[in-house]
Amino acid sequence: MTFHRGRTSSLASGFSARLIIVIVVIAFLAAPAMWSRADGPDIVLAGSDSALVSLAPVTSLVAADNTYDNGDALRLTWVPSIDDRLIDSKIIGYRVYRLAGTGEPEAIADLPPGSNQYLDETVLRDSVYSYYVSTLSERAEFPSNRTAVISPQREWINLDRGYLFLIALAIAGAVIYYVTVAKRGKKLFVRKIAGLEAIDDAVGRATEMGRPVLFIPGIHDMDDVQTLAALTILGRVSRTIADYESKIFMPVARSLVMTAGREVIKSSYQAAGRPDAYSDDMVNYITDEQFGYVAAVDGIMVREKPATVFLLGAFFAESLILAETGNSVGAIQIAGTARPAQLPFFIAACDFTLIGEELFAASAYLSGEPRQLGSLKGQDVGKVIAMVVIMIGVISLTFAEAWKIEFMQDILDRLSVVFSTN
Amino acid sequence: MEHFALWLSAFLTLGILSFLYKDNPWYKLSEAVFVGISAGFWFVTLFWDNLVGKFWDGWQDEPMLWVGAALGFLMLLRLVPRIGWISRWPLAFIVGATSGLWLMNYLASNIMVQVQATIQPLFSTSYASGPDAGWGAIVGSLVIVVGTFTGLVYFYFSKEHKGAFGATARVGIFFIMITFGASFGYTVMSRMSLLIGRIDFLLGDWLGLIN
Amino acid sequence: MSTRAKELIALGAITLFALSFYLNKVWGRGTFEFPTWLSAVVIALIGLSLLWILVLTLKGRLIERRVVFVYVGFAVALPLFMSFSQKITISPEVYQLHDALMELPAGSKVLISFDYDPPSAPELQPMAESIIRVCFEKDLKVIVMGLWPQGPQQANLALEKVFQDSAIVAKNLQYGKDYVNLGFQAGNEFVIQRMGSSFESMFPSDYEGTPYKEIPLVRNVRNFSNVDFSVNLSAGFPGTVEWVQIAVDRYGLPMGAGNTAVQAPVMYAYLNAGQLEGLLGGMSGAAEFEAVAEYQAKGTKFMLSQSFAHVVVIAFVIIGNVAFFRSGRKSKLRGN
Repeated sequence: MTFHRGRTSSLASGFSARLIIVIVVIAFLAAPAMWSRADGPDIVLAGSDSALVSLAPVTSLVAADNTYDNGDALRLTWVPSIDDRLIDSKIIGYRVYRLAGTGEPEAIADLPPGSNQYLDETVLRDSVYSYYVSTLSERAEFPSNRTAVISPQREWINLDRGYLFLIALAIAGAVIYYVTVAKRGKKLFVRKIAGLEAIDDAVGRATEMGRPVLFIPGIHDMDDVQTLAALTILGRVSRTIADYESKIFMPVARSLVMTAGREVIKSSYQAAGRPDAYSDDMVNYITDEQFGYVAAVDGIMVREKPATVFLLGAFFAESLILAETGNSVGAIQIAGTARPAQLPFFIAACDFTLIGEELFAASAYLSGEPRQLGSLKGQDVGKVIAMVVIMIGVISLTFAEAWKIEFMQDILDRLSVVFSTN
Repeated sequence: MEHFALWLSAFLTLGILSFLYKDNPWYKLSEAVFVGISAGFWFVTLFWDNLVGKFWDGWQDEPMLWVGAALGFLMLLRLVPRIGWISRWPLAFIVGATSGLWLMNYLASNIMVQVQATIQPLFSTSYASGPDAGWGAIVGSLVIVVGTFTGLVYFYFSKEHKGAFGATARVGIFFIMITFGASFGYTVMSRMSLLIGRIDFLLGDWLGLIN
Repeated sequence: MSTRAKELIALGAITLFALSFYLNKVWGRGTFEFPTWLSAVVIALIGLSLLWILVLTLKGRLIERRVVFVYVGFAVALPLFMSFSQKITISPEVYQLHDALMELPAGSKVLISFDYDPPSAPELQPMAESIIRVCFEKDLKVIVMGLWPQGPQQANLALEKVFQDSAIVAKNLQYGKDYVNLGFQAGNEFVIQRMGSSFESMFPSDYEGTPYKEIPLVRNVRNFSNVDFSVNLSAGFPGTVEWVQIAVDRYGLPMGAGNTAVQAPVMYAYLNAGQLEGLLGGMSGAAEFEAVAEYQAKGTKFMLSQSFAHVVVIAFVIIGNVAFFRSGRKSKLRGN
């Protein structure tokens, strides 16, 4: 019966069609689990049908090295989800995941809707990373593809410190300019410094009393600019001593300072026409140990009873001990250091004190050397910059905070960017 | 041995302290022992930590250490008068390298950050309420701003301290002296602390009079 | 009797007293403490004598400088026998350092740099002991190093002292896993600079010679970015200034500091600028930290002596100024 066969065939084909449809639907639903999604985790689906809002992931996710830095940042850029453009967008934000080497994904940042970039500054140089970004709805995450593996690189130039460089250039440029001007013979004005006039009188006093001059150049080595300034002043002091035919003792705590000191004093005696009066014993190395040096110098002060003591250079805890002992033997004391912690003791116990930068100014003033004078003037330019910036900043901040003037806030924000060191 | 060490420490401590009475042979002996031992200690430390520990044990991993060793050797040539000038080169290297490192460090940390920190509002709505409320905050801001500014004026060497500029510099030196007074007070505390430590040793560890 | 004879007799008497006290100590005699009434009498006597000196000064009779030394000596020594203690007021910067340590989760790595030597130990050693104790109580991992040669030795002394506490011993902390002493490295600020890239290059082995890579606590610590917090205990150069300039400003390492009282005023500029997260200044800083950590040790014990000494110094500053203004301004170029 042909008709029966026909009906059976149509029934069979109908059943096959339904079967095929069911298989396709199942396959469609199961496809995300079956596809090799080595690039990302399974989609987290919400528990109720109403929350199963499918959002498009971000696209074109690229991880690149942050250029011109210290190799401690990677920059991510992406195109936000197309669902982000909808008025009633269900996107509540984006979450950045990072995989370090072969490790597990770690959420490192949550960003608001509309975000299209992120700077990861917590990476380590020479480590490898990859990233993906998940689009977030209220109940689910929709991750993007993973980026290629990347490692942060350190560049030769770090533009984060660009403003620091410019300011250094400005100050250094000023120094170089004034040094050049000084070398051409132009007289650079340096204000009078109290205490410098006393040097000649102090040496004269030592000559009259028949007692030596004690010169202590601090306890730091030749790499400290304070020691160099002290040795410059030593040149002037020893020249005066040589002229007055007085005596000088210079105990030192560093061997290099000993040799430099001997050279300076020897040159001074030669310039004064008294090379035979010079002796290497004028400059002696004691010890590198701070308080060992102090104990020895105290002993020298008490035994030799110098009429004048110069305490110029880098000092630490021994400053008060030295100044007190010098005071107790009745010496006139001229001190100078750039270490703020020691200045109070010198001011209290000494007759004249060169405060901080006055030590370097004195060195420049006495030597008249173009490089030193030019450096001093260049530093003054730096001080002017600092004073101007402080004035502008204080006025801007006061107006911005008290009267909420936006223009002033903008000035302040610009200053903050310029003076940030990171 | 412990008894000997205690008595030796006490002997040397009291010997140095005897200088407060007057210079005497006991002080001279203690001073000489201290100077000698400290010189020897530093020599041994520098030899074993630097020469052996750093250079001799490390040159195979870091051949560049030979450059440092060579520069160090050139420094010693200062002892030979005819070729002593060669020692200026390693010295120049040290001064240059240290200056280069210090220049940017001091510019960043001691100038730029401090200038930024000095920028304070002379008046702010936060002074009327909130955690910073009160005249103390206003006075504090004024002190920081005025003190820093006038201090900078004092250390400006390109202009004579006359007229308004001189008056500003004078205000600056007042701030500086007040700062030094506070610093002096802090240092008195430091010196007393060291003395307390020694007295504690003498009365406690040595004589057992206190706990 | 000649002065020399008197000096020799005094020296002999001091030696005899010292010997007798020492022998008493060896034979097990207990310590000596002033009862409260005696402490009050001592304080009253010192106060009255200072007043008497002021009266003498006003009358034009100046005292010798050695009298000042004796008073300072008494002001330091006598409170050590007294039984009462001093109330410690805690400064905001001390709270700041303590809170910074408390906020670290267990297992965080704390780098402590010991940049001082025995002369500064009375001020900095109590700080070191308290900070290490707090770190161990919070289960923080401690990495110790030093830019001064004696620094690591001071660190070992501090660790020994902390391990005398039974509560710390009960934690069963192990060297190499919970704490390590990397030792001293020469080079001053250049060491800090190199540590910014690689700790191992500066400390190829620890204080005891164990290779860096074999120490579990530090084998994965490459540079500052692997350290969660740092404390610098400093008495001079190299010290906190260099650490702030390089480790904090350049590498972003969060750092607190403990300094001798001489240096502390300079560090307040860094504290106010936010470069330091807390600051302990001198022995008072150590005592305050002990108070906030609820642990009484040498810092607290010595504060009474500190306060007495300060009062005596203030009294003599007043007396000295009275003498100065009475005698008129001295000339700039003095004679003998």
